[in-house]
Amino acid sequence: MKTRQFVRIGALVIAGAILTAACSSKDAPNSGSATKNTDDTVKGLSVDYTKLSATLNASGSTFQAALEEAAISAFQEQAAKVTVNYAGGGSGKGKTDLQGKVVDFAGSDSLIKPEDVAKYQGGAVLYFPIAAAPITLAYQLDGVDKLQLSPDTIAKIFQAQITKWDDDAIKTDNPGATLPSTPIIVVHRSDGSGTTSNFTGFLTKAAPTTWTLGKGDTVNWPASPAGNGNQGVAQLIGNGTGTLKGSNGAIGYVDFADAKATNLKIASIKNAAGKFVAPSLAGVSAALDATTPNADLTYDPLNAAGDTTYPIATPTWILVYKNQTDKAKGEALKGYLNFLLTDGQALNESVNFAKLPTAYRTKAIAQLNSIVIPS
Amino acid sequence: MAAIDVTRDASSLRTGAVSRSRKRRDRIATAAMWGAFAAAALPLAFILFYVVRAGMHLFSYDFLITNIPIISSQPGPGMAPAVVGTLLITGTATLIAVPLGVLGALYLNEYGKQRPLANLIRLMTDVMSGVPSIVMGLFIYTIWVLRYGLSAFAGALALACLMLPIIVRTSEEMLRLVPANLREASAALGSRTWRTTVRVVVPAALPGIVSGAMLAVARAAGETAPLLFTIGLVSKPNTKLFGANTALSAQIFRNAQVPFPAAQQRAWAAALTLIVLVFLLTLASRVITARFARK
Amino acid sequence: MNQASLAEQRTGGRIADQAFRLLTLLAGLTILVVLVLIAFTTVNNALPAFRHSGLSFLTSREWIPNEGKFGALPFIYGTAVIAVIAVMLAVPVSVGIALFVTEVAPRRMRSSVVSVMDLLAVIPSVVFGLWGILVLAPSIASVYNSVSDAVEPVPVFTTVFNHTQTGRSYFTAGLILALMITPIITSITREVFATVPRNDKDGALALGATRWEMVKGVVFPHSIGGMVGATMLGLGRAMGETIAVALVIGSTPHIVGNLFASGDAMPAVIANEFGEASGVHRAALIGLGVALFAITVLVNVSARFVVRRIDVRLRGLA
Repeated sequence: MKTRQFVRIGALVIAGAILTAACSSKDAPNSGSATKNTDDTVKGLSVDYTKLSATLNASGSTFQAALEEAAISAFQEQAAKVTVNYAGGGSGKGKTDLQGKVVDFAGSDSLIKPEDVAKYQGGAVLYFPIAAAPITLAYQLDGVDKLQLSPDTIAKIFQAQITKWDDDAIKTDNPGATLPSTPIIVVHRSDGSGTTSNFTGFLTKAAPTTWTLGKGDTVNWPASPAGNGNQGVAQLIGNGTGTLKGSNGAIGYVDFADAKATNLKIASIKNAAGKFVAPSLAGVSAALDATTPNADLTYDPLNAAGDTTYPIATPTWILVYKNQTDKAKGEALKGYLNFLLTDGQALNESVNFAKLPTAYRTKAIAQLNSIVIPS
Repeated sequence: MAAIDVTRDASSLRTGAVSRSRKRRDRIATAAMWGAFAAAALPLAFILFYVVRAGMHLFSYDFLITNIPIISSQPGPGMAPAVVGTLLITGTATLIAVPLGVLGALYLNEYGKQRPLANLIRLMTDVMSGVPSIVMGLFIYTIWVLRYGLSAFAGALALACLMLPIIVRTSEEMLRLVPANLREASAALGSRTWRTTVRVVVPAALPGIVSGAMLAVARAAGETAPLLFTIGLVSKPNTKLFGANTALSAQIFRNAQVPFPAAQQRAWAAALTLIVLVFLLTLASRVITARFARK
Repeated sequence: MNQASLAEQRTGGRIADQAFRLLTLLAGLTILVVLVLIAFTTVNNALPAFRHSGLSFLTSREWIPNEGKFGALPFIYGTAVIAVIAVMLAVPVSVGIALFVTEVAPRRMRSSVVSVMDLLAVIPSVVFGLWGILVLAPSIASVYNSVSDAVEPVPVFTTVFNHTQTGRSYFTAGLILALMITPIITSITREVFATVPRNDKDGALALGATRWEMVKGVVFPHSIGGMVGATMLGLGRAMGETIAVALVIGSTPHIVGNLFASGDAMPAVIANEFGEASGVHRAALIGLGVALFAITVLVNVSARFVVRRIDVRLRGLA
C-alpha cells in the first residue's frame, strides 16, 4: 500500500541519517552571561528600566546589527518587561519601514535624503548616534595575508577597471609583495545599504577623479555578485574553510564586527595623511575626535585628517520620530536610547564598535529630552 | 483459464526476430529510464540526508522550546518562537481558507453548476492559483500591514490567499466525484438540497476534501515569500495574533544568508523541523484517503 | 408521517435551504472579490512605475533605482533563462521516471518510486534554497570552472559556459528549480501515460516491437498533449519560484550569455529590494510582480490551448 511505502521510505531515510550523524551530543544552551559592564563617563537621564513595559519593533542597518543584538540582550536583562526586536534588512529598509510607521525605530548608517523627508508619516525624525566602526575591505586570497590599498586602487577595483590581483596598481600599493594572477571577484550589496552609502562616500571624497559612480544607498555597480546585508557579503567572501568557504579572489566591503566574526582577511587603507592604517577601533576614535557633529547630530568622519585615523570610519544612528504617539512605547524607546548612550557604551568595544566620544554622547543625551511623549 | 500476460508472452516471440541494434536501443532506453529515476532520487536522498544529519546537531525537544538567541553568532539551540509562529500562522490561515474554500466549492458544484457566475468564479480561482506567492505578500502588505502593522494575522491572510484556490479546486473535484444517484436518492426521500448536501454529499466527499486541505496546509507551512513583509521578527514566542512574529521558513531564509556557523546550524535544525511537520501532514492526508475513501 | 407535519417540514426546511444557498453563494463571491481586489490593488500600485518609465519598463536593460531608471529586461531575461534550464533538465528526467513507473519498474517497486516522488514534492522551497546556498553553490563552483576550461576551444560553448565567480548563477538556480518541478511534471505525465489504451500497447508488442519501440510508437504519440501540458505547468512553476532562486542566483541585474555567471530574476529581485523600496521604486517592483503574474497566466493559458490543438489534431477530438 502506498502509505506504508511512504512511511517505510521516510523512516529509512531518517534512521539512516541518525546512524551516520557525526555529532551525538546536543549543544548545551549558552547561558549568555553578559558581564555587568557599566560606564559612568557621561551622566544619562535617570530612568527606571524596570518600570518600562512595551514591545519595540525595529529594522534597518545590518552594520549595527551586532551591536544591537548585544545591547538588546543586556538591556532586556535590566528592563524585564521590554522586548526589542531588531530585524535588520539594511538602512534602506529601516528608513522605509519608519516612513510607513511599520517599526518604532530604525537603524541607519546614512542620512534621509531631502526629497524623502515628506514621506515620513510621523513628522520630524531625530538622529541618535550610538557608535562608529570601520568598514573594512575584506578579501579572500590564497597566500596573501597582508594587503594595502589606496583609495584610487579601491575605486578602480570596484569599477571593474582592475580585474586581476597582480595588477600594477595593487603592486604599487604593496611593494615587495607577491600577488597571484587570480581574477578579482567583487562583491557588493544587493539591498539598500548605509554601508554602501558610507563606502561610496569615502571613495567620492578620497578618490574624486577616479570614482565615478557617486554616493548612495545603492549605486550602479558593474555586474558582480551581491550579498544580502553585511552578513551576506561576508558569507560570499568567506575564509576558505568549512561552511565559510566563500570564493578565492573575492573582495568586498564589510563592517568590522562581521569581518572579524567570520575571520576574513582585511586590508589596510591609505588615509588622508598618506599612511596605510589597518582597521581598528582606535583608528575610528581618532577620526571621530577630528570631526565635529552638526546640530542634528549627523556627522561625517570619512577620510578624516590625522596620521592614525582610519579613513573609512563609519557613523551609525538610530532614527526615531520626535513626536511619539504611544506613551508606553515612547518611554521604552527613550529608556533604550538612554541605555545605549550610557551603560550600553561599555558593550561597544566587546562587539567591535568604537565608543562615542564624550562630546557626542552628551549632545545625544540632551537631545533625548526633545522626544515628545504623550501623557 | 489463466490470464495471459501479453507482455511476457510477446517477449518470447520477440527474441528470435529482433535485430541486435534494436535490442541495443531498447536496452539503452531502459537504462535511461533507470537513470532518470536515479537522477531524481539521488539528489533527493542526498538533500534529505544532509538536512537530517546537519539538523540532528541541534534538533531535540529542547530546540523546540528554547528561544532564539538574540545574538545571532551565539551557538546553541532555539527556534521556539518560530515553531509557535509557524503553527499559529498556518493554523489561522487554515481556519480562514478551509471553510471559505469548501463553502465556495459547494456553491460551485451544488448550486452554481454551469451558470455564468459559477464559471466566472471557477476561472478566477484558476487564475488565482497562478499568482506568484510573493505577490500575495505584497498585496497583504499594501492593504493590511501599512494600516495595522506586522502580525501573525497578516501572514495568515497572505497564506490563506495562497491556499484558497487549491482548496476550492480539490474540494470541487471531490464533490463532483460523489455519484449523482446519492443525491437523487436523498431528494427522493424528501430531503431539501441543503440537507442532502450537508448530510449526504459532504460526508461522502469528506475524506478527499480533508486530505486535499491537508496538502494545502503542508504547502502553506513551508511558504516563505508571503511572510517576508508581513510578520516581522521576534526572539521570544508570541502566541497572539497581533504583534510581530516569526516562522520556521522565515528563520531559515534569514539564517541562510549569514556567515555564522551557529546560526546556520539553527537553520538546518529548523529545516529538519519543517520537513518533519510537512511530512506528518502529508502522511496524515494519505492515511485519511486510504482509510476512509474506500467504502 | 401525516401530511401536515410533512408540509411543515418542507416549509421550515425552505428557509434553511435558502440560508445555506446564500452562505455558499457568499463564499463564492468572497473568493471572487478577493481575487479582483488583488488584481486591482496590485495594478493600481504599479501604475506610477508604468507612468514613470513608459514602455521602457519592459524594454530597458537598466535597473538603477538610485537614478529613477527601471528597466525590467534583465529580470525577465533571468526568469526566462532559469525556467528554460529547469525545464530542459526536468522534462527528460520526469518523462523517464514516468516511463519507468508505468513500463519498466517491477510491480512491487512502483509504489516506492511514486512515494519517493511525493516526498520530493512536499519539501519546502526554502529548504532547497538553504541547501543550495550553503552546500551546492560553493561546491559546484569548481565543477563549473572545470567545464568552462574543458569547452574553451569551442566558440559558442565558451560564451554560454564561461567562468563562474561564486557558484551562485543562472545554472545553479535552474538546477535547483529542476529538482523542484520534477515531481509535478512526473505526476502529470504518469497519469497521462496510464491512460494509453492497453490494447494499443499490447498490439505493438504482439507485432514484434521492442519495449522502447512500443513507447516511441504508441505511448508518446498518445500522450504528447499531456506531456506538453505538464511541461508548461512546470515552466509556470519555475518562473514563479521566489525563495530558492533568490538565495542562489547571485543578485546581479544584467544580461549575459554565460549561464555560470550570477544573474537575477523577477521574483528574486522583488524579495531582495521590496523591503527598502518606496515611491516609484516600490511601484516598479509591484509592476514586476504584475508582469510575472501576466507571464504565468499567459503560459498556463497557452498550455491549455496547445494541448487542445494537439489533442484535436492527433485524436480527432472536436
